[in-house]
Amino acid sequence: MSEILSEISTCVIEGNVDDIEELTQDALEEGLSAEEILDKGLMPGMDHVGVEFKAGNMFVPEVLRSARVMHGSMEILRPLLTASDVKMTGKLLIGTVKGDLHDIGKNLVGMMCEGAGFEIKDLGKDIAPDEFVEAVKEFEPDVVGMSALLTTTMRSMGHTIKALEEAGVRDKVKVIIGGAPVTQSFAEQIGADGYASNAAAAAEMAKKFVS
Amino acid sequence: MSEIFEGLSTAVLEGDSKKSVKFVEKALKQDITPQEILDKGLIVGMAEVGVRFKRGDMFVPEVLMSAEAMAAGMDLIRPLLIETGAKLVGKILMGTVKGDLHDIGKNLVSMMCEGNGFEIIDIGFNAEPEKFIAGIKKHQPNIVGMSAMLTTTMRSMGHTIKAIEEAGLRDQVKVIVGGAPVDKEFSERIGADGYGSNAPSGAELALQLVGAA
Amino acid sequence: MRTNYKVNSGTRFRMLSEDQLEELFNGVLHVLENIGLEVHHEESREILKKAGAWVDGLHVRIPSYMVRRALDMAPRSFTLYARDGNPANNIHIGPGRAHFGPGPTCPNFIDVETMERRPYLKSDVPLVARMVDALPNIDFCESLGTVNDVHHELGALYEFAGMFPNTSKPIVAWSYDWDDSAAIHEIAITEAGGQEAFERRPNYVHYCEPLSPLVSTFEALDKLIFAARHRVPLIFTPCPIAGGTAPITPAGIVIQGAAESWMGLVIAQTIQPGLPFFMGGVYSVMDMNAMILSYGAPELSLMMAGITELAHYVGLPLWQTGGCTDSKTFDEQAIIEGSLSVFFSALTGGDMTHDVGYTESAMTGSVFQLAAMDEAIGYSRRITRGIEVNEDTLAVNVINDVGPNGHYLKHEHTRRYYKNEFWYPNVCDRTDYETWDMMGRTTMKDRVVSRVNDILASHQPSPIKPETEKVIKKVLEEAEERVKDHD
Repeated sequence: MSEILSEISTCVIEGNVDDIEELTQDALEEGLSAEEILDKGLMPGMDHVGVEFKAGNMFVPEVLRSARVMHGSMEILRPLLTASDVKMTGKLLIGTVKGDLHDIGKNLVGMMCEGAGFEIKDLGKDIAPDEFVEAVKEFEPDVVGMSALLTTTMRSMGHTIKALEEAGVRDKVKVIIGGAPVTQSFAEQIGADGYASNAAAAAEMAKKFVS
Repeated sequence: MSEIFEGLSTAVLEGDSKKSVKFVEKALKQDITPQEILDKGLIVGMAEVGVRFKRGDMFVPEVLMSAEAMAAGMDLIRPLLIETGAKLVGKILMGTVKGDLHDIGKNLVSMMCEGNGFEIIDIGFNAEPEKFIAGIKKHQPNIVGMSAMLTTTMRSMGHTIKAIEEAGLRDQVKVIVGGAPVDKEFSERIGADGYGSNAPSGAELALQLVGAA
Repeated sequence: MRTNYKVNSGTRFRMLSEDQLEELFNGVLHVLENIGLEVHHEESREILKKAGAWVDGLHVRIPSYMVRRALDMAPRSFTLYARDGNPANNIHIGPGRAHFGPGPTCPNFIDVETMERRPYLKSDVPLVARMVDALPNIDFCESLGTVNDVHHELGALYEFAGMFPNTSKPIVAWSYDWDDSAAIHEIAITEAGGQEAFERRPNYVHYCEPLSPLVSTFEALDKLIFAARHRVPLIFTPCPIAGGTAPITPAGIVIQGAAESWMGLVIAQTIQPGLPFFMGGVYSVMDMNAMILSYGAPELSLMMAGITELAHYVGLPLWQTGGCTDSKTFDEQAIIEGSLSVFFSALTGGDMTHDVGYTESAMTGSVFQLAAMDEAIGYSRRITRGIEVNEDTLAVNVINDVGPNGHYLKHEHTRRYYKNEFWYPNVCDRTDYETWDMMGRTTMKDRVVSRVNDILASHQPSPIKPETEKVIKKVLEEAEERVKDHD
């Protein structure tokens, strides 16, 4: 039985998008639960990817490919997980703040966190504080991630945190911020819960916040 | 009088040979002694050249022009100095060692030393130890200067010093060495009295060794 | 002199053939005509539509004849002027001339006294400008940082207000928005003697950026239109990241970046035919391990060379990048990366190379890096001057005079040329070991620090007119008032 689980892990590690759907279906047919497939097949694969990336043996495009493989399997597993009330690692809401259209960093973080087992809701770019607030109320994330590239749009991060406070939902989430001009001291200044200087660090921080 | 000395030293500083000669002639007409002309005019000028060169405000081509201006002045007063028995600063025997044909460094040092009042006897390049010894016996210099460009001919310097020792002449002279592959350590190892890394410092060293600096 | 005599004046690096350049050129036209860009500025879309472009909502495609026409109108040669009229500090843009200067917007700065990394402050601006003014191989000025201790909407204005009085060399300015551009412009034209005088002798260049891939934001275009309307020489260039926001292959990033620039070119030339316009930008790789835009990568120089050749092929000057590093400190890495990119910029003839003095992948500005790169630029310039061949330089007569086993030191020919023919370093040390030992065994770093401190202690830039000082005070007050209630 564990053979197919290790095949699934390998599929993730190797970034094999072609075989993952069939393998996932096969695993389900063999009687494995969606939760087992996630915890013992997909997650170990992604954990290994994380280790290799940190060691400098795997690079971002490969990491993203593995995340895509995991995503492909999750498409099949998600309804089953929801049905059996299984929890994902956590829920992450992300967006680039108002006035800013740069989103590559945000996209990377989203993909890395998905690879870490998070359910992701990506609001996109140029997101005003009240849009963040609405989405927090609706999606009920564990972590909110905000991204900005311009020193001139960074301010919106502070405004958004304030808006979350005023809406009475600030305590329900952890806020992580990132982007080229963002610094640790700025994060502390505006009352964010964390600052991450790259996507991998962001994913690790998000995992810590929900553990 | 001080105008003449100033004019002369400036002529040397500016590398103006014609002017240098003019001022020496003027000085001689006013009965200024050749020794004073040398000490207060020519040498003062060259000393300033040395200072500026060290600072990086003057460059080698300009230094050479100054040395030429000094030499032009010296040509006029040298016979007079010898006549009056006035001491030149000193005498230096210069040569490039056996096997080596490079002599631009040696020529530069000679010019700088001449500019500082030394009399130079140049025995040329590819000079064997015997030639150095013959030169010492004939001219009785205060200083012997040796130059080499090649690491392979450097050793000749050691041989030459040994030969001078064996001839019983070592105590009579100070030996200084220089050239691209030569450094302080090497000069100490072979028992030389000093090492100069460039022409002005070679000239300075020569002055120190005769006690005139 | 012979008839039909071909001269190579200066060294040049040529990477791409005519045919390759033609393909790249057609690639850009294809992107503009068939793929198109997003234009988030209504007036710009109208201008483009009226001029013949196809507009569909935000999406604009530009037919190739419009692009060719705009390329034709933009000048290849023009002059940027020193504000004090000193011709030695004018910048003549034209084939084969490379110029260098710092960049803006680093969040941090290396403190000149403590050498510690800290946030960039308003008080750093005059210091950087004075360094630029004094360094012989730096031609134009940018601030090296983003001012952290003023209202965030006024950073650019305070930078310009701080640079302008402290250097007479041309300034490359960015701005926050239209009002900001207007305030900066008012300062510049006051010193120039009015708008008309400024148009004849512009003393600053305006910089704005499209967004990769293929987007032009509202702010960028609003500022572009200000610059075009007021005949301010314009830089409209992207910072595409290979493998991230642009194709990973150099040919691909070159054509995408060019397309992003030329969209702005078309608008600018439509409004102001003949407006001096730079294409180019910061083209580099996303390091697939560290996930940063690398400022020290060899691909930076490679891609910049590619876009330079394309620009010159179509007859536009190039806004290049060089003299920068990913190193976090003033060390050997900083010198290798900075010097190699400087040298490449000089070789490819990139008309204005910026970001000299950037460290830590554009997060920290350093006047020490700037001063060290000044040396590298001098060095490179000597090489790219090339070898002059004429009767005098062949020196046959001189060789004859000196003859076998003679020497050239005393010859008049040597004296005539030695000051000009040789490059004399300001910071690199050539003394012999004993002298170096005696003088304190200084390192390059020691001497650079010394040079920076000497310059800062003694250099005085030429002053601006009293009326310009008044205008600076006025626009700063007006701007503070304007943003008072913004947060």
